[in-house]
Amino acid sequence: MKIVDWLEGHAVTGVTVERDASLEEAARALLGEPECRDIYVIDAEGRVVGHLGFRRLADILLHRSTHSRRQLLEQVARGPVREFMNQRFISARLDEHVHDVLHKNMERWVEDIPVLDGDSRLAGIIRLVDLVRAAIEPSDQSFD
Amino acid sequence: MEILLIGVLLLSGLAFGALGSHLFGVPRVVGYILVGMLFAPNLLGGQLGMHDTQWTQPLVSVALGVIAYVIGGAISPSQLRRLGWSIVGATLGEVSGAFLMVAGAVLLLGMTVADLPLWSFALVLGALAPATAPAAIVAVVHQYQARGPVTTTLLGMVAIDDALGILIFALVMAIVGSGSLGGALGTAFWEIGAALLVGGVGGFLIERLSRRFHEQSMLLPLLLGGILLTVGLAAWAEFSALLASMVLGFSVRWFGSSYAERLFKPIEDLEETVFVLFFTFAGLHFAPSAVIDYWPLMLTYFIARALGLFVGGAGGARLAGAPRAVWSNIGFGLFPQGGVAIGLALLLLNYPMFSQAGEVIVNLIATTTLLTESVGAISVRYGLRRAGELCQNTPKGKTAR
Repeated sequence: MKIVDWLEGHAVTGVTVERDASLEEAARALLGEPECRDIYVIDAEGRVVGHLGFRRLADILLHRSTHSRRQLLEQVARGPVREFMNQRFISARLDEHVHDVLHKNMERWVEDIPVLDGDSRLAGIIRLVDLVRAAIEPSDQSFD
Repeated sequence: MEILLIGVLLLSGLAFGALGSHLFGVPRVVGYILVGMLFAPNLLGGQLGMHDTQWTQPLVSVALGVIAYVIGGAISPSQLRRLGWSIVGATLGEVSGAFLMVAGAVLLLGMTVADLPLWSFALVLGALAPATAPAAIVAVVHQYQARGPVTTTLLGMVAIDDALGILIFALVMAIVGSGSLGGALGTAFWEIGAALLVGGVGGFLIERLSRRFHEQSMLLPLLLGGILLTVGLAAWAEFSALLASMVLGFSVRWFGSSYAERLFKPIEDLEETVFVLFFTFAGLHFAPSAVIDYWPLMLTYFIARALGLFVGGAGGARLAGAPRAVWSNIGFGLFPQGGVAIGLALLLLNYPMFSQAGEVIVNLIATTTLLTESVGAISVRYGLRRAGELCQNTPKGKTAR
């Protein structure tokens, strides 16, 4: 099954914020979608340029006690979202097969994978939980 | 046998450090140093076939390379711009104050070791003085939920002052190694130039190579390999391994732009291991005669360093336009001295001219570290309370170190 077809039956909204947004703005956007654990950072044209996970966001905002000089400076001289995002996140394309995504999930230990269109804009999210549900459901033909 | 002793030092150091901290509330470094003393060549180390401590030197060089990489990668250029003048000014004041005050006090005291020139001895001790230990400060800040401009300034300062301390130390070693200020120019040019070049290019290559590895587990060998290669090249071509490793970290951070976590976290996780090794190694070198014979020097160093940090930090913050609450209290938080200082002192033992003076300096830094770790937390707490930044008067738990 192609990803474009999968997304029709498994629509998941992704949370996006702009590159220059503050971490607090990112947290508010994420808390507005309780099911989501990932933020996708977009540029002025709406292209996805980075990823920020909930765990990392919480680490920085909650002033975790750390002896790491790097993390101390992240707290003292905190910058916008673009300084914390991972630019080398994995993503899938609309014309790929769902099987390929499952492989990426397992290889990189991520649960949700953003699907980007030809212009690198967010077209949807493929969640590992939905993939597992489809895999154990006998009537589901998603992986055919 | 060396491998056996390293294992023994790591495990027993950790056990003693944790027990001492838990049962008696003493800093963990006390346990680390005591274990080192116990396994010195003239005690249990001799029983294990260890008749000298020369074998620790390559390990110290590599371990310091690891620490320098972490320190170099602590800050990005954009963070440096955002830090604000009050933090940068206070840090510059603190570092230069400690260096000048200690070097000046040692010159006035006129006490040196063996046939080492007094000015070399004073410069080296001055270069060791600016290094601080974030752990004791962070523990107090976390324990009392401190918040405010003094807390922020203090955390910013302890995060960047070690980088300046390493820079000063590398320059001083170039001067001392050349024997004169004139001869030092050529040496310093090579030491700094080559370190910048190797560290900069190495950082670029490591960052680019890291893009090929998606699994986190593949990054540790890449980063360790890069640090080892840099330290090894520095030893071979005779430029500063410390500076090169620090530039390597800075360069990786620079080219890696936003996402530094994956290229620093694996190495940062080694930091406590390195500090356990440093303090136990310092214990191996412990000589009661050095402490007894050179107590005036140790007292001078301790007082001059405290004064230099206090006056320099306050002066720098005031000149940079920090509010009164900041410049009048910041000095109280800067006394703790830790792993970086002891690592630099151990590195001196690599230099033939410091064969005797190095032993005294290691003992001096170990002794004053015990003092600063013991009174440092009290001093930090006093400064933050005086500034009105302690959110609660009852600690959440025991201070870790």
